[in-house]
Amino acid sequence: MTAVKLVLEFERERWRARGDGVDVAHRELRGLEALIEASVAGERHVEVELAFDMASLPRWLHQYHAHYCNYTLHVPPRGVRA
Amino acid sequence: MTTNRRWSSGIFSTEDWWAVWIGLTIFAASLVSLAGVDLVGWMARPRAWEWTDVAGALAWSKFFAPAGAEYAGWHALASFFTTYAVFTALFAFGARFMGLDVRRFVLGFTALFLVTWAAWVAGNELHLTMVDATVNGRNRYRDAGLSWGLQLGEGAPYLLALIAGLAIGNFAKGFAARLAEAARPEWYIKTAIVFLGVNLGSQTMEASGFAVELIITGAAATFVAYLFFWPIVYALARRAFGFKRDVAAVLASGISVCGVSAAIATAGAIRAKPIVPVTVSMIVVIFAMIELIVLPGLYTAVAPDQPIVNGAALGMTVKTDGADAAAGALLDELMIARNLQLTGQEWQEGWILSASLLTKIWIDVFIGVWAFVLAIVWIRKVEKRDGAVSVGPMEIWFRFPKFVLGYFVAWLVFFGIAAAWPALVPALDEGTAVVQSPMRTMLFMMTFVAMGTTTDFSKLKGMGKIALLYGLALVIVIAPIAYAVAWLFHRGITPPLVAP
Repeated sequence: MTAVKLVLEFERERWRARGDGVDVAHRELRGLEALIEASVAGERHVEVELAFDMASLPRWLHQYHAHYCNYTLHVPPRGVRA
Repeated sequence: MTTNRRWSSGIFSTEDWWAVWIGLTIFAASLVSLAGVDLVGWMARPRAWEWTDVAGALAWSKFFAPAGAEYAGWHALASFFTTYAVFTALFAFGARFMGLDVRRFVLGFTALFLVTWAAWVAGNELHLTMVDATVNGRNRYRDAGLSWGLQLGEGAPYLLALIAGLAIGNFAKGFAARLAEAARPEWYIKTAIVFLGVNLGSQTMEASGFAVELIITGAAATFVAYLFFWPIVYALARRAFGFKRDVAAVLASGISVCGVSAAIATAGAIRAKPIVPVTVSMIVVIFAMIELIVLPGLYTAVAPDQPIVNGAALGMTVKTDGADAAAGALLDELMIARNLQLTGQEWQEGWILSASLLTKIWIDVFIGVWAFVLAIVWIRKVEKRDGAVSVGPMEIWFRFPKFVLGYFVAWLVFFGIAAAWPALVPALDEGTAVVQSPMRTMLFMMTFVAMGTTTDFSKLKGMGKIALLYGLALVIVIAPIAYAVAWLFHRGITPPLVAP
């Protein structure tokens, strides 16, 4: 199993993920995840840890809540993918 | 870049944590009174005044004076400027760590501070505050020779602060924009809530059964918010208004749980586009202000003999911590004044506010758990992607409101010292009284002003459908159920009376 750590952003009406040699963007989150999978998939299972960058939310909102979302995308080895 | 990956993420870069650091720093300074040294008595405290008296011979000391006996020799202005310097320095220090523009912050803070103090001093004029009632054979209204008065009690300064803030936010938008860097009502109220932990500590000493009951019933209210309000509002949003699943979920949390915080947590949990919580948050902030303006006066007029019911109902109804605490403080003062008018009995200050706040704090505490459960349900049942995507339990901690830790630390430290060393209670009371009364009140006042400056009612334009849902949910679901539940738990309970 390999772990990849990416920063998730939302800018100009699109999601963007970058870090560990990956830099992809898409209007929809599912589309972004497909691009990430294409970038990191290999011989082994990959766990992509996405941490949302709060700078993507207006600064005035941070005083109410300082976290949006982190989650893990599980990318199976190439041969196992549907 | 601001991401949360470790448990300590944000510990020196978020308002939430800085409310804890500033609140506990001042609380710790007040505890030095146990060694016989008063480190907080320089704080300025407004005095009650009457305009004909002041017009005859103007003096700063008629408007405010140092709060601590050891500082009684200080000139009133020295006390005022020390108050300004200490609080500006503390908050600017926090602002620096949060990456704000410190120059703009200090300028904005200074303006908010001055507006706050102008409202606070003006609001202490006797024609606004003094209540015509005879207590223990004495009528201070008559003693002062007043022929008329609004009889608002200590609620008068809060109302003036709110009016001043709203006037800036709606009629001087250019000025309001200049204050934006410092207009952070949630930061000020969360710091004040840490101070309120001391209040809960002293209440626990005085009436432990009552305080514990408030805590337990506050927890029970949490179930009402999550298990009743949320599904009803979600169903209303989906079926009656036709909102998409993600928008309905974010709206349901924003309207029924704990406002902006819940809207952001829910949107994150279901990974909605950030524009969704931003839009919902804008409307939550405006409606919270409407609730703050309407509900304290309404509850006082309708049920003046049900203080704790009113307080708890407010805690379940008013969204955002700032609006709830502000509404609780206003209700506390208006109810005390009204009861004094009607019965000649004076309730102790702070109990109605505690009822409101404890209810809200429990709701806040569970938002992380709620969002975590919602995230799992969303992945498994809505998106049907179990195995492809997962969320970790650290999400609960990242969403936990950290200022609550400061509140409970202040409460437990105060209560622990008082319980372990009863002989120290007078010294403990002396130091922490300053934190409670002028310091906490000043931050509440700043919250009122800051909330006003950030509330622009013109933003309601173009939000017809969402605003209608919010209004309907509030009037036909949340307010009535909240009041019924509060009635069930608290009917007939009144705060202890002020000792003669």
